[in-house]
Amino acid sequence: MAKTGDRAPARSTSHGFGRLLVAVYGLFALAATARSAVQIATKFQVAPLAYLLSAFAAVVYIVATVSLARGDAASRRVATVAISIELVGVITVGASSELFSKAFPDATVWTGFGSGYGFVPLVLPFVGLWWLRHTR
Amino acid sequence: MTGPYATAITVVALALAAWAFGLVLANRPLGRPILAGGAVLEALLIGFLIGGIAQLAGSHRHFARAEFVLYLLACVAIPPAAAAWGWGERNRAGTAVLAAAFLIMPVMVIRVQQVWAGVG
Repeated sequence: MAKTGDRAPARSTSHGFGRLLVAVYGLFALAATARSAVQIATKFQVAPLAYLLSAFAAVVYIVATVSLARGDAASRRVATVAISIELVGVITVGASSELFSKAFPDATVWTGFGSGYGFVPLVLPFVGLWWLRHTR
Repeated sequence: MTGPYATAITVVALALAAWAFGLVLANRPLGRPILAGGAVLEALLIGFLIGGIAQLAGSHRHFARAEFVLYLLACVAIPPAAAAWGWGERNRAGTAVLAAAFLIMPVMVIRVQQVWAGVG
């Protein structure tokens, strides 16, 4: 792969490794959307905070997936914001679910730093932000 | 939901994943043979969906039924979606997308079985 010089145009975020990254983000968008839809539709009263956080995570993943797949300058900014929110979210929710477990009677995608998903939700935002820098 | 059919899906998916990762290492784009292999897996997954819904209809146990059907639908949706997205880049990156899709299929099958058993 060619090295990018200082004046080289930004490389697309959806090619090469980015193609796989978009696929993984897409998978989490699907997982979080399906999970929150089921939770909110069938048992919202059980853990409203957890389920709203699942829905919020779903939106973040959808925005990150679409903006990484598009990869133009505006999408790149949107992706940076979305993935930064994702990073803050997974760490905040991960820590809160450990510290205040009573507030989270049921799990979200980000509970326990994404332990229910092999900690991929914790690693993903770091990889996403690295990739945005790398393709700049 | 458990038993030989689910095991067959897992074995086929892992074999396809190994094959696809081999193609990634060999720097090869997606081609017809691996897509044909994916079609075999897809046929098995459609059977899994139909069988799963039939078993669901015949069961009076209490478990997360909506979640169960969604997981089965996701199993069926993921390989074609990965093939389509991977097809958009005709080099090893596209192949890697399909390889990853094959690799998560055993996890999806386990999740389907867990929901069926009422674990979570």
